[in-house]
Amino acid sequence: MNSNSEIILETQSLAKFVTIEGKQLDLLHNVNFTVEAGQTIAIVGSSGSGKTTLLSILAGLDLPSSGEVYLKSQPMHQLNEEQRSQVRADHVGFIFQQFLLINSLTALENVMLPAELANDKDAQALALSLLEKVGLSERVNHFPSQLSGGEQQRVAIARAFITQPDILFADEPTGNLDKNTSTYITDLLFDLNKQFGTTLVLVTHDLTLAQRCQKQVQMQDGKLSEPQLSSTEVTFSTEQTA
Amino acid sequence: MNIFSYVLKENWAKQALRLLKHELRRGELTIVVLAITLGVTSVFSLAGFSDRIKQALINESTSFIAADRVLQTSRSLDLTSEKQLLTRKAIDKKSEQLEVEQAQQVLMSSMVFAENNMQLVEIQAVSDGYPLRGELLVSFDDNLTTSEVVNAPELGTVFIEEKLRALLDVSFGDTLDIGESTFVIKGVATQIPDASFSVFTSGAKVLINIKDLDATQLVKPGSRLTYKYLFAGDTDNIASLDQWLSPQVNDSQRWFDIQSKQSPLANALNKAEKYLSLASLLGIILAAVAVAVASRRYAEKHQSGVAVYKAMGASKSYIKKLYYLHWTLLSLFSIALGLFCGYILAQLGLFAIEDYLPVKVSTSASSLVVFGYSLTPIGFYPLFMAIITGILCSFAFALTPLKQLVATSPLTVIRSANLGGSGDSLTARAIYYLPPISALFALLVLFSKDIILSVALLIGGGIASAILLAFGQLLMQLSRSVGSKSGAAWHLALANLQRRAKANSVQLVSFTIAIKLLLMIIVIKTALLSEWQAQLPEHAPNTFLVNIAQDQVNEVEQFVKQQNLVASDVYAVVRGRLTAINEDKIAKQVSKEASDGSDNGRKGVGRELNLTWRAQLPDENTIEQGAWWQDNTAQVSVEQSIAKRLNVGLGDKLTFQLGSEQFTVPVTSIRKVNWQSMQPNFYMIFSPQVLSDFPASYISSLHVPLDKKKSMQRFLADYPTISVIDVDAMIVQLRKVIDQVSTAVEFILVLVVFAGCLVLIAQVQASMEEREREIAILRTIGAKGRLLRNSVLLEFVALGAIAGLMASVAMELTVYLLQHYLFNMQTSFHFEFWLLGILAGGGFVGLVGVLSCWRLLNLSSVALIRRTM
Repeated sequence: MNSNSEIILETQSLAKFVTIEGKQLDLLHNVNFTVEAGQTIAIVGSSGSGKTTLLSILAGLDLPSSGEVYLKSQPMHQLNEEQRSQVRADHVGFIFQQFLLINSLTALENVMLPAELANDKDAQALALSLLEKVGLSERVNHFPSQLSGGEQQRVAIARAFITQPDILFADEPTGNLDKNTSTYITDLLFDLNKQFGTTLVLVTHDLTLAQRCQKQVQMQDGKLSEPQLSSTEVTFSTEQTA
Repeated sequence: MNIFSYVLKENWAKQALRLLKHELRRGELTIVVLAITLGVTSVFSLAGFSDRIKQALINESTSFIAADRVLQTSRSLDLTSEKQLLTRKAIDKKSEQLEVEQAQQVLMSSMVFAENNMQLVEIQAVSDGYPLRGELLVSFDDNLTTSEVVNAPELGTVFIEEKLRALLDVSFGDTLDIGESTFVIKGVATQIPDASFSVFTSGAKVLINIKDLDATQLVKPGSRLTYKYLFAGDTDNIASLDQWLSPQVNDSQRWFDIQSKQSPLANALNKAEKYLSLASLLGIILAAVAVAVASRRYAEKHQSGVAVYKAMGASKSYIKKLYYLHWTLLSLFSIALGLFCGYILAQLGLFAIEDYLPVKVSTSASSLVVFGYSLTPIGFYPLFMAIITGILCSFAFALTPLKQLVATSPLTVIRSANLGGSGDSLTARAIYYLPPISALFALLVLFSKDIILSVALLIGGGIASAILLAFGQLLMQLSRSVGSKSGAAWHLALANLQRRAKANSVQLVSFTIAIKLLLMIIVIKTALLSEWQAQLPEHAPNTFLVNIAQDQVNEVEQFVKQQNLVASDVYAVVRGRLTAINEDKIAKQVSKEASDGSDNGRKGVGRELNLTWRAQLPDENTIEQGAWWQDNTAQVSVEQSIAKRLNVGLGDKLTFQLGSEQFTVPVTSIRKVNWQSMQPNFYMIFSPQVLSDFPASYISSLHVPLDKKKSMQRFLADYPTISVIDVDAMIVQLRKVIDQVSTAVEFILVLVVFAGCLVLIAQVQASMEEREREIAILRTIGAKGRLLRNSVLLEFVALGAIAGLMASVAMELTVYLLQHYLFNMQTSFHFEFWLLGILAGGGFVGLVGVLSCWRLLNLSSVALIRRTM
């Protein structure tokens, strides 16, 4: 379990741009962002505001064009693909809007996968207990195509928690679900998060969901805007270092 | 306005064309096009090629018998005997009564001598009426440009085969000494209707008039002669003759028609021809698998497109027209491309083997000439077969995926759905696989015209699939538990493999079929070749002297001594037939030459046997049961394999017929014989008392080194009735035949391997999107590149190795069935090829898998995620 004062994620002057037909397009601009361990933060914003790009860089899936990212004190911006993979395997969990389950694997096998990658001998037992926690103990041998959207997302949540990651990134986790299911999934996500003491970084445009987080920050045109609520745990700024 | 311009005005047609154009250009249809093209190419080239080879082989092995029925005997019917039922007189009378025509011929091997050369030939002495069926074509000009239909040569003249003209360096008008007579060479026989095609009677033919035979003095007591009495007439009359004559045929005579006539090499060629059509069938199966895989992928790729069309309000019939037209155009394009490639391939193949086989058809006036090389016309049949294959493959195999594609729900735009298939219920699966399997069977039957072969192939495939589904799952499970104790890459690879067993089963079946077919080709080819080559032992005597008369034995022995040659003993040979065992008459089925193919007809029972007598047990013979002669009574020693085949043991009494004489002797020993020793070997050796009163000829084998061949020739010139079998020359000839056939076989193997590779690549391509998505997920949750690469490699290697193992088992079963029922060969197991199957399967599938996924494995996580999400 992480100490509450530990800074788990930090960015400095983060920027991402692409060049299209000789013209530079800024996706992220001078993002400074610090997250302490055990906190829940929602990044909200409209489509195309750069939320998912930011998430990709924070999680080490992508590299910034400039600036620095530290995840568990690891300089992600300096690490190569392989090293970043290792950091993800050791510390990071994911939940996606599209669930991203492997279709040919059963629910149980999907959940076991990250634990197997970490050579965890108890992968199966852990997976079974997590599937029970998300209410799918009856459906462990079902394939994703045999599960509803909500059930698939529950499998994805179980998968995200199996390695007890230090930080969990969730990209529109309820984006593909109806209202009732969304509520159920959200409850589940926050319950487990609390239970495991995981840091949660959530990207969403669903304000109800965002409200469940301790902090909300807004992305607009690649920049982080003022917080709607002040917080000591989460600090952010834009344009301050310019 | 014609139908095309009408159709092209329709929106759906325009869209179909547009779609086709873009997709072809972007390479999205490459796999489908390749699969159909491959199918058509394989069928067209294989059919065109093997059709030509078949024709060439059939022409080579013409076994017409120059009559409707033939009575063959080693004793002239003119020699009357009390026990001989059939007499010449009775036959003549019956023939006259039934208005059946008759002709006679006498066949023997003999040396002929031209001015400077000599050669062992087949003398064919024919009567004036010969041939009764077919045509004897003889050319009377040096360049053999024209041939005339003739009958027997005039008295004092001979017709020779072209190869003899070269061997003896003679031309028209030169003389030829045969036995004690001299003949004038009058013409070259370009076609002899009943030319037997047998390796071991491979001497060139010399035709003489039967009335000249006596003067040659080649007919002596003990001479190895074959008399053939030919009959031809109306079907009814021949049937009456058959009814009258066949019950009177004794065991030393054969009464046959064209169907029952087969020489050992004709058998071998027949096997080769079956083999070629088998290989062609394998090509079709592989092509069909490729089309099946590719059409499913096609349907999956177009699903979202159909959903969008439907979401925008397109009707089902509109979609149907659009996609059916799209698929039809695609198929036609692929079929045309396939015909073009197949034609080129077949031409290349024929060009490569034209030196070996006479593949050209002399009557082809319409052949094309390209770069000075005249293309061999490929018949209508291969073209027809290739087009039918293309149509059947592209529609029967794509029918269900296309129907499912058209039925795609517009909801798919929102939530992706899978096509039906392996994951559905048994009934759904049966419906899914019924059209392709029926189409495949139809193709096989149409192509092979051989139901047994088609069924064997289908059942072989079926057995492979059944074994796969049962043992494949088991093996994957086993490997999973082994894998969990290995490194992470193995762990993930085998976990993936086992977890995806269901999805993998389609790939596994395909890989297995491909590997199995390749293994089968290799195994059967090896078995055929080794069977043929077993007939050529090395370091053995290279010369046989046969037909040595009793009064020549001393001279031969003296010559051998003088020249310091290594020779076997001189053996007396009397020809006779086993007619009864313990008073049980030999039944026809026992006498049927079951092992004719494997031992080249040398030692069969049911024909006349070469019998000998000896005081001492010959070298290379060992007594297995009983004892060599203990007293002076009449007895026989039997070789062990024939004793086993005939189920005779010590104390059994065997009855033999020699000409018209019969005698019965007890078996007092069973011998083991080294058949590879290339010395005269015998199934039956009698004690000296039994046979010594029968007229015998003598046989000996010796090794004549190259420098002694001249003196050998000089010696033999004084004894024209002694026949020489030059094994060296025969080995060269046999090797040539084997080379010819295996060149043809190898060409086809290359095509089949190529077809197999494309199936595998199509399979890997088909699973690519799923893999892309999986790798993206694995990357995201922190899997390292090396781990992903290794796990992909190992997954494919394991899949290929399991397929290889399964393929080996299925191959063994199928080869057993084929060897047993189709080729009439001795069955054998081929464990050495199991290793080959497993290694090749693992290696090849692993390589193809990793190469196909290489680009994918090297993409960055973000690129992967962008591609898949």
